[in-house]
Amino acid sequence: MSIISLKNIYKSWGDTEVLKNINFECEDGELLVLLGPSGCGKSTTLRLIAGLEIPTSGIVEIGGKDVSDLPPVKRHISMVFQNYALFPHLNVAENIIFGLKARKIPKKEQKKRLENAADLLGLTDFLDRKPSQLSGGQRQRVALGRSIVAQVSVCLMDEPLSNLDAKLRQEMRQEIRSLQQRLKMTMVYVTHDQVEAMTIADRIILINGGVIEQHGTPEELYNYPATAFTGSFIGNPPMNILTPDTQLLQACPSILLPSVDFTAPYLLGIRPEDIEISSDSGMECLVELTEYLGADTLIVCKVEKHSITLTVKGRVAVSAGDQLRINWKVEKIHLFDAANGQRIEHLKGATP
Amino acid sequence: MRLWGVEIGKIIETAGAWLLGALWLLPVVFALWSSFHPAEYSTRFELFAPLTTENFVRAWSYAPFPRYLFNTFILVTLILAAQFVLCTLAAYGFARFDFFGKDFVFALVLLQLMIMPEVLLVENYRTIGELGLLDTIPAIGLPYMASAFGIFLLRQSFKTIPKELIEAAQVEGVSALGILWKVYIPLSKSTYIAYGLVSVSYHWNNFLWPLVVTSSVNSRPLTVGLAIFGAPESGVDWSIITAATVMTMAPLLVAFILFQRQFVQSFMHSGIK
Repeated sequence: MSIISLKNIYKSWGDTEVLKNINFECEDGELLVLLGPSGCGKSTTLRLIAGLEIPTSGIVEIGGKDVSDLPPVKRHISMVFQNYALFPHLNVAENIIFGLKARKIPKKEQKKRLENAADLLGLTDFLDRKPSQLSGGQRQRVALGRSIVAQVSVCLMDEPLSNLDAKLRQEMRQEIRSLQQRLKMTMVYVTHDQVEAMTIADRIILINGGVIEQHGTPEELYNYPATAFTGSFIGNPPMNILTPDTQLLQACPSILLPSVDFTAPYLLGIRPEDIEISSDSGMECLVELTEYLGADTLIVCKVEKHSITLTVKGRVAVSAGDQLRINWKVEKIHLFDAANGQRIEHLKGATP
Repeated sequence: MRLWGVEIGKIIETAGAWLLGALWLLPVVFALWSSFHPAEYSTRFELFAPLTTENFVRAWSYAPFPRYLFNTFILVTLILAAQFVLCTLAAYGFARFDFFGKDFVFALVLLQLMIMPEVLLVENYRTIGELGLLDTIPAIGLPYMASAFGIFLLRQSFKTIPKELIEAAQVEGVSALGILWKVYIPLSKSTYIAYGLVSVSYHWNNFLWPLVVTSSVNSRPLTVGLAIFGAPESGVDWSIITAATVMTMAPLLVAFILFQRQFVQSFMHSGIK
């Protein structure tokens, strides 16, 4: 059963249209990530679900009920904000049960839920502290606690980890994921970090310029990017997107290219990790720079004026200025229509 | 430029600060000196002059100071309470809600800041007269209760509160008045303290309007009582007058010493120096 559903949502600020025809559904118990570059409209989408913004047109449904005109409190959601939104004058315990007090839940029940949440988040020793006496990770946990004690089925998260350092971000990411699965929460999670999205999501909605580029599982987004934008946004380092011109078509052996008529405008996408170094076959290119990353090495090379990035396992004895032959399997090529960026299947029998 | 290894600008600055400080302190020191010594030492300095508290006792009994003190206390409490309620609600409206003509109305409020209360003396007297409140304590306070300064100060303070906190409260189902009470007011505590001190000290010391509107012991505040007490026709005894003055300002002085940290901090925070 889909618990959240957005139908034909449009949102404008004055003359600028920030969301255009957004349609999606989120299943019960699912962790749905709204991913996209900054300013793409992902936070606005979340705020529309929360009821903090009202759509210009369209319908928001939660739990099968049209909530488009209801205030946030009547939507039975909880929300975690980017800067945690902890009240500086209240201590940890008071912050966590803030909403329960507002909703006049009996004292006994408040205490039970607080203890439960504090235990779950490892905050039991910090209940008397003020937010200013906590570290970033602890503040984040308090914000999560507030969301847990609400005991509502839908939890909305607006870039919850963006203020933490890299290591802590990874820990909290795993913690949020395991918490979500344990408590069977439905979660809508906004982030601009594709690694965060890939690791945490059941499904991802990639938004760009106010429209949905693709809605699918992380595997689908990685293996079958629906548009050239998805291809270049998902994956690290990003996918190589090449515009085949006569020079490239001459330099590249035809066995490496899909069998289409290149007089029409196409884009070729190939992931850095799908490219191999070859000794005898493939395309000639010139190494421009190499970056050693420990587990693998990133090599940027040039073919005429095209730049191609590839990654290889471990350390390779290649340095800038070397000639190199690179090779890939033709089925690893993602073909896109240059006019609208849409994916074109070039292999028989391949289905996304 | 330097002199004895210290920058001259710094020396002038320090000297200036001390000079101004001394000028401010001089009357206070004189009042303290004269009030604690017998009359013959009131204009004469002698280090070991005998100390006495008799001036205070006499001043206390010569005029109904307890009653004046009570009146002033009621007055400042009344004004402060009314100001807190009115200014909080007005500031909340200006800080959080959009309504038709908001900017225009706020400009009117700011305009009020530029009008000296003394200009309105006659008009206010007529209004109070029509209300039938002449010579009462509310009459002294009424013109000051909707304070433009208070509205402005609180609005600025409310505006600095992060939007996320408000939204978090909204998501949790707190009503508009609940948000004011649970989020805005507690987070603006230092502004309230600072504004409270400014208001109390202003109205504690206010003189002209209470003088005009009061005419009996029952409503006269300390300042007016003191002025009548010290008027030449009642004979000039500096020791007693200064004793009465010290009594008048003592409660305020103590409050300032107690709250000075919050006071200064709050003004730093609200960006008004």
